[in-house]
Amino acid sequence: MSRCCVKTGVVGWGAYIPLYRLRSKEIASLWGFDPNVADSIWIEEKSVASVDEDAITMGWYAAKYALVRGGVNPEDVGAVFVGTESKPYAVKPSSTVIADALGISRKKLATDLEFACRAAAEGIRLAVALVSSGSIKYGLSIGSDTAQASPGDVLELTASSGAVAFLIGPAEESVAVFEGLTTYVTDTPDFWRREGSKYPSHGEGFTGEPAYFHHIISSVTMLLEELGLKPSDFDYAIFHQPNGKFPLQVGRALGFPKEKITPGLVTPWIGNTYNASALLGLAKVLEIAKPGQRILVAPFGSGAGSDAMSLVVTDKVLDRVHKAPTVEELINRKKYVSYAEYAKSRNLILRNVG
Amino acid sequence: MKHSISIFWRDRENHYKLLITKCRNCGKSSYPKLKRCPYCGSTNVEVVESKGRGTLVNYTITYFRVDGSEAMLPKVIGLVKLDEGVKVPAEIVDVPDLSSLKPGLEVEAVLRKYSSDDPHGLIYYGLKFIPSIIKKQ
Ligand SMILES: [Zn+2]
Repeated sequence: MSRCCVKTGVVGWGAYIPLYRLRSKEIASLWGFDPNVADSIWIEEKSVASVDEDAITMGWYAAKYALVRGGVNPEDVGAVFVGTESKPYAVKPSSTVIADALGISRKKLATDLEFACRAAAEGIRLAVALVSSGSIKYGLSIGSDTAQASPGDVLELTASSGAVAFLIGPAEESVAVFEGLTTYVTDTPDFWRREGSKYPSHGEGFTGEPAYFHHIISSVTMLLEELGLKPSDFDYAIFHQPNGKFPLQVGRALGFPKEKITPGLVTPWIGNTYNASALLGLAKVLEIAKPGQRILVAPFGSGAGSDAMSLVVTDKVLDRVHKAPTVEELINRKKYVSYAEYAKSRNLILRNVG
Repeated sequence: MKHSISIFWRDRENHYKLLITKCRNCGKSSYPKLKRCPYCGSTNVEVVESKGRGTLVNYTITYFRVDGSEAMLPKVIGLVKLDEGVKVPAEIVDVPDLSSLKPGLEVEAVLRKYSSDDPHGLIYYGLKFIPSIIKKQ
């Protein structure tokens, strides 16, 4: 075990996917995209947050059920981190609203983190460090996004809404124990959103190889070297999922077969939930994993960086799965909406009557 | 009509939580948080937080426009009987179709936006109900 994460693990997890779905073929046909574009990146439909939902409300739901699964009193939580790139307020923390609404102790650390899609993964690393140093007993990291995309941008096929929360605490109470954590970050111009811009921009040539692939391959290779493990030592591998194809491709490059990656895939059916993307995959895998199995999870955030984490599942996982809605149940709960309804609920069109 | 920031903030505990008043004198429960039991008048009461689950008693639909929540119309306003026994009036959202709204439908409380003073003002959050995602065994 590496020194980064002594005797810490995941005590509880919670997920949230909004009810509504928009079919990617409808977006493609509206904007006149090549009809094969959705299949070529493997995206069938995406989740759409309702008009009264945002990163705070979705994060609240996921965090509530992380506490329920962990059986932890909110008063005992010493840190709340919210990783998001769609904060409802540019200035005014989301973490304090969620914490107060859940009855989490006022004596705590609370902050919103931004690093594109990997801020919540960094929140997990911070919570692990605080728990393993004895500074706090439990820490919550929440990833929640209502991802924005310019109408007509190819990004609109995938940018979706969802949340996930991980309650980090002592190994002896955990459903999965951390073995190692590595992070690899560089300055890369693959994707950004300027202050005051409603929609993000992307640096076309940078999104694939120099950003997603280089950073995930680097963080995972560092982790494998540090722990002396190889891909065959893992039962599941979960990578950030900007679409359905990239995680399979990066897995192939690293030597992980498709069968170890597909159990943690969520994006083909709900889209890219940004900070919740890979971590919803981890939640989905925890809901089927058996004690003793080893999981690799590697989120990625533009800008750019990737975290690689190795976890070993304990026997405590089994009776916690059905204490809260599972990712599978949330994926299957759905109602289709039209592009017009999506445009209204995601503020692409605004009511303009006095 | 806009929300008053100070009134909403002072009352935030009642927007974020379902607080039930339990009377130690007559044993009855009531909603919301009260200093005096509405049944027997006793001040010997305790306040407990509901787990946020219950069943729909009945509902109505409103088209009434409230500043900051115009895009949320129409609204389903329901009466929910919490598992703890008391009845609570609340908005019901994420209803796939109105025919699914039947008395006895299992519902759970969720945090949602009530309204927002767009584009520069405060966002007001509070509890609404959705059809329960996990069903009772
Ligand atoms: Zn009484």
